[in-house]
Amino acid sequence: MKKKIASVTLPVAMSVLLAACGGGNAGNTNNAENAGNAGAANAAETASAAGNAAKTEAGGEKIALKYWYAFGGKIEEAKKELVKRFNESQDRIEIVAEHQGGYEDLHAKVQAAFAAGNAPAITDLEIASTGVFARSGMIQELTELAERDKDKLKLDDFNPGLMGNAYVDEKLYGLPFMRSTPILYKNVTMLKEAGLDPAGPKTWDELEQYSRTLKEKGKVGMTMPADIWYYEGLVAQSGGTMLSEDGKSAAFNSPEGVAPVEFWKKLASEGLIKIPVGDEAGATADKDWSNQLAAFKFGSTAGVSGSLEIAKGNNFEMETSFMPANKSYGVPTGGCQLVITSKLDDAQKEAAWEFVQFMTTAESTIYQHKHVGYLPTRLSALETDELKEHFKQFPQYKVAVDQLEHARPRPMETAYPEVASILKTAIEEAILDSKVTPQDALNEAAEKANKLLSK
Amino acid sequence: MTAWEKLRPYGMVAPSIIIFSMFFIYPIFYMIYLSFYDWNFVSPDKTFVGLQNFKDLLTDEDFRQVLSNTTLYTLMTVALTTGLSLFLALWLNRKGVFHAFVQGAIFSPHIISLVSISLLWSWLMDPEYGLLNWVIGLFGFEKMQWLSHPETSLVSLVIVAVWKGIGYNTLVFIAGLQSIPADIYEAAALDQSKPWTTFRRIILPMLSPTIFFLVIINMIGSFQVFETIAIMTQGGPVNSTNTLVYYIYENGFRFFKIGYASAAGVILLAIVGLLTIVYFRLLSSRVHYR
Repeated sequence: MKKKIASVTLPVAMSVLLAACGGGNAGNTNNAENAGNAGAANAAETASAAGNAAKTEAGGEKIALKYWYAFGGKIEEAKKELVKRFNESQDRIEIVAEHQGGYEDLHAKVQAAFAAGNAPAITDLEIASTGVFARSGMIQELTELAERDKDKLKLDDFNPGLMGNAYVDEKLYGLPFMRSTPILYKNVTMLKEAGLDPAGPKTWDELEQYSRTLKEKGKVGMTMPADIWYYEGLVAQSGGTMLSEDGKSAAFNSPEGVAPVEFWKKLASEGLIKIPVGDEAGATADKDWSNQLAAFKFGSTAGVSGSLEIAKGNNFEMETSFMPANKSYGVPTGGCQLVITSKLDDAQKEAAWEFVQFMTTAESTIYQHKHVGYLPTRLSALETDELKEHFKQFPQYKVAVDQLEHARPRPMETAYPEVASILKTAIEEAILDSKVTPQDALNEAAEKANKLLSK
Repeated sequence: MTAWEKLRPYGMVAPSIIIFSMFFIYPIFYMIYLSFYDWNFVSPDKTFVGLQNFKDLLTDEDFRQVLSNTTLYTLMTVALTTGLSLFLALWLNRKGVFHAFVQGAIFSPHIISLVSISLLWSWLMDPEYGLLNWVIGLFGFEKMQWLSHPETSLVSLVIVAVWKGIGYNTLVFIAGLQSIPADIYEAAALDQSKPWTTFRRIILPMLSPTIFFLVIINMIGSFQVFETIAIMTQGGPVNSTNTLVYYIYENGFRFFKIGYASAAGVILLAIVGLLTIVYFRLLSSRVHYR
């Protein structure tokens, strides 16, 4: 009998221990393994890539490079189309584009692949994460390349409002690719039916009044997730900043940072706006707007093309405008830039650089802007007849461009992704729990954030 | 004995030992090693910080909440899954088309990928557009917030886990019930034993190895919960569904704190290891084996 217990016990005990680590390490050790395995694979790959490069010089095979990108739908269509154009434009370099989910998934995978020595040559990088990636040496500094090729690149043709996140410690790390600002999407048909001026709301107070009227009609003014990107906008509108100037401490628990949360909490508790929480919050906001339960939504300018289609399908008229102002207008910029990972050999680096330049030309940015709605990143693009005509026909696309005047970069501190996560938790708590005041919630979040930022 | 005969057993086990060492033993030690460092996995500067990661973890309020979330989730999931499936097994342990159909129906979630299940339940539980709230509405009850409120989010995840796990557990219980020899039932019937007495005195003790096995397996599964959380809640709202494995993932890969995440991994390893030892000390003496 004893023997039998032992024979059951041992495997079970082992499986428990192993299972525990198996799960526990999902993040860590698995990659360590990969590092070991991939080390060899990568060496082989590099060798063959180098071989390819050599052959190319001799007029032989192409350099093959991986490009990882985020998001599906129209965004993916545009990225794939641009890659296709690049591959067809020359015969030395072959870019293989791979979809990697949203920004967070993409970042996690790039980091893991980099640790494993198997990173893509080029990747999309959400702008607020440029700091983390640059400071840990994962991405290639581009300052010298940009200086060398300045005649072709025309760095000062990029909209200056978008360059803030391209530099880390005054060194260039990325080129603006699919960049955005949040804008206000309006269901104009609904506003007209409620007897409201479709040109507004231009201020927070107007947003509140509009929402009150809409509530009487059985709707809500807006459904929105407590997204930190929008919050950054509202803090800017109130005249505050997210972090102190040196980035070593939190500034969002100042009156300017508390005001947005108080505004949201007040409107939500009166049922004027809806703030769903949880993972589906963003999707819920979109659905409420699409199904005409809410007249407004905040959203990236990347959604203009998609939202126009929805509005057309559901038979309502759509306009876009600036996010409403408190003391002033203000928005963060968003979206991604293209970066080149470090640890490429010279031939690969040059090839990647050529690709990045191609993807960010005026011609490319006009194409992606019209197809998706992201900002035209280059000033010369705005001067083209093609875009002037486009703006005349669809003024919805132009709002984000005009709003850039009020835009500011996102914080890029190494700890910022975690600070944003803490902040989101605090804001949701303040909105959901009537006993928690916005000030207390933000003070608590600031205390945690300071610990991380001061490191 | 030739040299080959001496070496043969080692040669036979070598493949599994090599894989085992590569994928389990080495990673465990590497994780323990990493837990003493402050590192982001890629940066050249890797700082030895001793036990600082563990100190930070134990003083971190969020980590305490993560531990209590995980424990609560595990307790609820294990108790409900085991209890309900034992009940179902007793009911379904008989022949007939209807019973076979029910058995098949409740087993089917087991073979569906957890990712699909998570997406499916996200839709079902949508507060505004979900099927569940529509059904509740038909009966005139107020809408539930499900995953969207800290008070109901963890329980919602437990419901999904129980729904997914119950079929497999029932199947194992039925197998356990059928391995109880019929002569014991006959003897009990001759002694005119009441159903409850039969259950308590015969079925439960004879089934105890099965119960024990399922409790352990379910505990492992629940402690490791990740997919549903990553897809349905991402630890929110307000950290109410942040569990250990997700917390480790979040710190390691979203916040790039591999050392800190490894320290949490070591704690997970210790907790589950300790629980297992306690279980076997306490329960093995009471588990009935023939």
